Parts: sequence; structure tokens; C-alpha cells
Amino acid sequence: MFKLLTPLSMAMSAVLLCACGGSSPTATIAPSLAHGTLAVDPPFRIASLNAASFQAELAATGSGAQLLQITGPPRCGVDFYYVEFWTVGGAGETTESSGALMVPTGAAPACSGPRPLVLYAHGTNTDKALNIADVTNASNTEGVLIAAMFAAQGYIVVAPNYAGYDISTLGYHPYLNAAQQSGEMMDILTAARTALPKTFSAATSDSGKLFVTGYSQGGHVAMATQRALQAAGVAVTGAAGMSGPYALEAFGDAILFGNVDLGSTVFTPLLTTSYQKAYGNLYTAPSDVYSATYVSGIETLLPSATPLNTLFSSGLLPETALFDSTTPIVTVPNNPVLSAELTALLSVPGSANYPLPPTPQTPLFAAGFGSPYLLNNSYRVAYALDAASNPDGAVPTPKAGVPLAATAPVQPLRLAFYKNDLRNGAWAPNAPTLLCGGDADPTVFFSVNTGTMAAFWSPLVQAGLITVLDVNGSPAGPFAAIQTGFQESQAAQLAFYESAAGGSLSPAAAQQLIVEGYHTSVAPFCSAAARAFFSEL
Amino acid sequence: MSTLTRTRLAWLAATAGSIYFAAPAPVRADDVPSNSARLGLYSVFYHVSADDLSGPYVPPGANIDAKNVDTLYAAYVRRLSSHFDVELALGYPPLQKTVGKGPATLGSVPYDGQVIATARWLAPTLLVEYMFLDEQSAWRPYVGVGVNYTTFYDRDSTAQGNAASGGPTRLSLTPSVGAAGTVGVAYHIANQWHAYASYSISKVSTDLSADTAGIIRTTHINFGPQALVVAVGYSF
Repeated sequence: MFKLLTPLSMAMSAVLLCACGGSSPTATIAPSLAHGTLAVDPPFRIASLNAASFQAELAATGSGAQLLQITGPPRCGVDFYYVEFWTVGGAGETTESSGALMVPTGAAPACSGPRPLVLYAHGTNTDKALNIADVTNASNTEGVLIAAMFAAQGYIVVAPNYAGYDISTLGYHPYLNAAQQSGEMMDILTAARTALPKTFSAATSDSGKLFVTGYSQGGHVAMATQRALQAAGVAVTGAAGMSGPYALEAFGDAILFGNVDLGSTVFTPLLTTSYQKAYGNLYTAPSDVYSATYVSGIETLLPSATPLNTLFSSGLLPETALFDSTTPIVTVPNNPVLSAELTALLSVPGSANYPLPPTPQTPLFAAGFGSPYLLNNSYRVAYALDAASNPDGAVPTPKAGVPLAATAPVQPLRLAFYKNDLRNGAWAPNAPTLLCGGDADPTVFFSVNTGTMAAFWSPLVQAGLITVLDVNGSPAGPFAAIQTGFQESQAAQLAFYESAAGGSLSPAAAQQLIVEGYHTSVAPFCSAAARAFFSEL
Repeated sequence: MSTLTRTRLAWLAATAGSIYFAAPAPVRADDVPSNSARLGLYSVFYHVSADDLSGPYVPPGANIDAKNVDTLYAAYVRRLSSHFDVELALGYPPLQKTVGKGPATLGSVPYDGQVIATARWLAPTLLVEYMFLDEQSAWRPYVGVGVNYTTFYDRDSTAQGNAASGGPTRLSLTPSVGAAGTVGVAYHIANQWHAYASYSISKVSTDLSADTAGIIRTTHINFGPQALVVAVGYSF
């Protein structure tokens, strides 16, 4: 046996000596955690679509076909890269974040070589797994929208998922934290510019033209980013804020005084947690703010891996009842008149005690009251007292002249709104800026936000630098076709809901669905307006 | 069978034939050498069955296949008795090409039929063989069973593979240990020289893991290799 094993062992030894090769390398992991560092270099390409296949993918679904009518057919292919980068959280925590780099590709001159870059901020999303780069995910409608609207038309698109989402280990999302979110936008811009030359799509390069835009929450983020870039001396070619809550203090005052917007029960936990993490003074315990019904786990509820409808049906969050339907009694020491006035203002809109005349939005606002409810009356009263003693320049009644924010509120939530109100600081854009929205928006009120910012900037900028577009306004000017398109699509959608194919809904029920979908419906039309605006710069 | 393989087989047959006609000579049993070395050609045919690739951003039906290879065959054989041998067979590690199978494109990136990866494998096989007929017979059929060990190295994702995967990709394949079997025939050419032809099968399976910028895709592959060998051997 020994005689047999010896030559076999020698042969096996030779075999083992031969088998020594490794494998080709993959991307490198950055050793630095400095903000703006590309964490995985080169970035992963999730998908690569040429113009024809992208068009075919869009045309294959009803919503995609509708989007194509607004965006026009793709002129370019798009490579979708998943960018992982380092940034900081709302309290300065080092955290990894992720996002998209969408690169136009193709032989057409508009699709390669030096191309302009759109830095995009997405809207509120409750899905913790959100990855805007993943066009293979059917629920990623905003990613598809910006790809079709911008990347497929020759713009490089860079868009973060935001800290607290996707791979980020931050245990919350710094929602509407202007400093954090603008910083994160600049960080992904730096990371994406590092990544681009190392991708498969290196034939496309950054021309240096930089556009900043975003929708809803992203409208606020985009404007904060424009301000931060400008302050850092970075040239912004143009910007477009779309349906954003820019004048946050005024918007907050409007809501706390009963103009409850659609989606407020989702926005409130995101906002409150974000500002508690950043400033640490919104409450001693969550029960200071939230009712006993919903306080358990509220700080970590959103964003969530659980679908929003499940959170509602599971009783973890009210669908619309932000406030208690039982009106609190406000007591202002030695001021019974103001006490009565505030008490009336905090009653349910449309109720007998409510002092203001009904409007078409009154039923919407009234739906924000109920029981169980999300926010304690005591917290609401404290906010209202601060607003009454130190009113915002735009709410409840716009003051003459520039609608400035209040000076240094004392109630912590209102102070947080003030700090993140984009009227904060004497600044105005130095690049052409479009403000786009729909004036019937039930989610982010148009006049309180877009109207207030336009009025605030009016004396600070040269004529023509700021363009305001209401897609619901009478069609006129360079965006008339977009306004007409939006209004026709709303009418068509209403007719569909009332048709047999759409469920034969009553006019009232159909109109209710239109209201519920309004904020989302504006997005592609404002995006088209932004693209048209950028194309002239 | 490839043209190249047929040509090599014809050459080997002609060479073996010329040696046979030149100098046949019987060998006495007590003179039979204990060791022999063989050299020849290995033609490997795969019958791959693999799970569809799984992991992030993989469309349904994305699978892989392997291209057949020819390589050099070498073996050491130890005579145990007049009817039993033990063989350690090796092939010179060939460059194995893995091709995409499934969708014609992933997005717009060509996939089906594209060479997406290459690797070299080393697959020593240890066989105990039973030789029929007696040792003086010119022709001796034989059968064998044993074990195959396969390890993969120099694993590279090709440019097409990187494009399909989404970036530079690191591949790992687990080593395989599986049963092997062979049937063949030996022909005594002259003195210590023999010619051999055999057909072998073995079970070679591996877990493939592809790492593209931290995105991991996996599959389990059964290669199902079948090999034809033609060789000459020298006993000593």
C-alpha cells in the first residue's frame, strides 16, 4: 500500500501546486468614509437599455404609454448605475447612502460626449427599500419618470435614495432637513462625478452644465441644494422646484390651524423624528406629541418595509386623522378674546364654531380630524400659541410686502420649521429658476409654498429670473401646451373613473379620486416644464 | 466531436497501428511492469444543468452553459494484480468557456450564447479498473469506478460577462468531489507500449457565486461531463 501511495501522493502534490490561480477583481471598496466619497468604485450597473428597448418597455404598460405621451419617445439609451457613497445624517452621523446615476448612451450627438447633468431629489416615499436606480422594479415610478424625462433625452441624472433608505444604516430619515439633504445631494453629485469616467458609459461625460430639480419633498430638497451650491460658489445653470414645501413655517402654520393636507399623517412622523434627531428638543418623550393610540414605535415607523396601506389597516397610523376632533380649549392668560379666537380656529373646519367660511377644500381639511388621532391637542395648542404671538408673514393672512418667516419661534416644532424654511436667510437664486406646481394641490399647497417663495424673492432678483408655472392655470405663454396637457389629462381621468371601464363612479366619487391623485398627477407635467426650461439655458 | 478531435483520433490510431505492425511481442506474466504512464487527448463534452441565476437584478430564465473542450490527457497507472489497476488521470487544465443561456439580451446587453466567463479546471480522477481477459491478450477491455475532484482557478469574467453582470465581476466556484466511471479498451502495441481508448463520465457540480460590486448572484451547476480519451501508454 505504501508503494502505491507514494507516487500517487507525489502526483497529487503536483496537482495542488498547479491549482493556484485566483479570480478577476470586482469593484473596490473605498477606505475613506469622508462624505462625498464613492463607496464602491466603479458603481454597479443595474440595467442598460437602448432607446428602442426603453421605449418598448414603457409602451408595454398603460402608465408607461401615458408617460411616453408627455416625455416623447426616448432619443437615447440609458445606463442605470447604483451609486453607493458616504454622507452624514441629520445629527452629523457618518452613514452610507445610495442613489442613481443614469447616463444617456447611444450614437446620437445628444446622447454621448459632454452632456448636461440633472441633480434630482425625489418625493416622499414610505418604502424603506426604495432604490430609485432600480428601473427593474415596477413600483419605482419616479425613477422611470426621471429616466424617461431627462436621461433618455440626453441629460445625465444623479438622484439619491436619501439617508435612512435602502442600504443606509441610519435609523431614521432626515426628512426636510435642509442642511442634511442639501449636503447629501452635493455628496452624491461628487460621488457620481467620480464614478462616471469609470463606467461602461464613459463615452458620455459631464459638460459642466448643472441643473437642480426635485418634486414634492424633493422640491424642498432641490431648492435647499440650490441655495447650498450657490453658497459654496458652485455654479448652478438652472433650477426647478416642483410642488415643494419651501415655506415650511407658513405651511406648518396652515396645517396646525386646521388646513390639514392630504398625507399629513405620513409627513408628521417623518418630520418629527427628523427634527428630534437633529435638534433634540421637540419632545422629552414621544407621548408629548403623539396620542397613546399611535405612540408605540412611532419614532421608527417610517420609512418602513411594510406597505403604507398595511400600516393604516394595522392601526399603526391613522389614514387621515392628524388632529383630535374634540376641539381643545385655548387659554391665553388675561386675553379671553384671543383665547376664544384661537379655540375657534382650532375647531374642525366646517363645524359650527369654525370662524372661516367654507371653501371647496373644507371637506378635505375636515378629514384631518377624528378619533383616534395622531397628534395630541396639547402639542397643537402650544404650536398655535407660538404662531399667534409670533405670526408668519404669509399665514394666516399674508402681510403687506414681503411674506417673511416669523423671527425665532419658541415652540420647538415651529422653530424646526423655521430653521428649514427656505425663506430663512436673505438669499435668492442667482440662476434662472422655475417654480412649478398645481394650484389645487391638496398635498403641498401651491400658494402657501410656491406663491410665498415667489413673493419673497421678487424684490431680491432681477425680473425674469424666476418663472412661476401653475399647470392648472389658463394656458398661456411658453408652457401653454403643458398646461393644456395637464388639464386634458385630468378631464380624461375623471371621465375614465365615471365610465364603465373605470368603475362607473359617481361624479363625487370620481372627483374624490382626482383629488387624491392630484399631487402625483402634476409631477410628469412639471418635469416636462423643467426639461423645457433647462433646454433653453 | 470536433474536427480537431477526429483528426487527433485518426493520428493516434495510425500511430498505434504502425507500432503494432512493426514489433508485436508477447509479455510474460512475471515480467509485467508495475507502473505505466499514459499520454493522450481528452475531449470533454458537457451536459450542463444549472439552476437559473438568482440574486438582485437578474431576470427570470438567465442561465448558463459550458463549451466543450479538448485537452491533453496524462495518467499514472499502478498495476495491483493481473486484473486490477489503479489510475490517477489528469487533464492539462484547459481554458473553459462559460456562455450565457436564456434571454437574448439582459436589458440591451447581449446574453444568450455570449462567452461570459472563463476558468481553468484541474480535475484529477482516481479510478480502480478491472481489466478483462488475461495479460497476454492484445486487446483488453476494462471498466473502472472512482472519484473525481475538480477545482477551478484563473476564473475571469469576460468583457461580455462584465457588461451583462453590471461591472467587473469576481467569480468563485466551489471544488467538486463526485463519482466517476469509465469503460475502455487497451491494446498492446509492442513491448511496454499500449494504446488506450476510453469513455468516462463523472459527477462534477459546483456552486457559482458572482460578486459584482457587492451584488451577489449565485447558481448551482451540474456540468455532467463525458470524456473521450485516446492515449498511448508506456509501462515500466
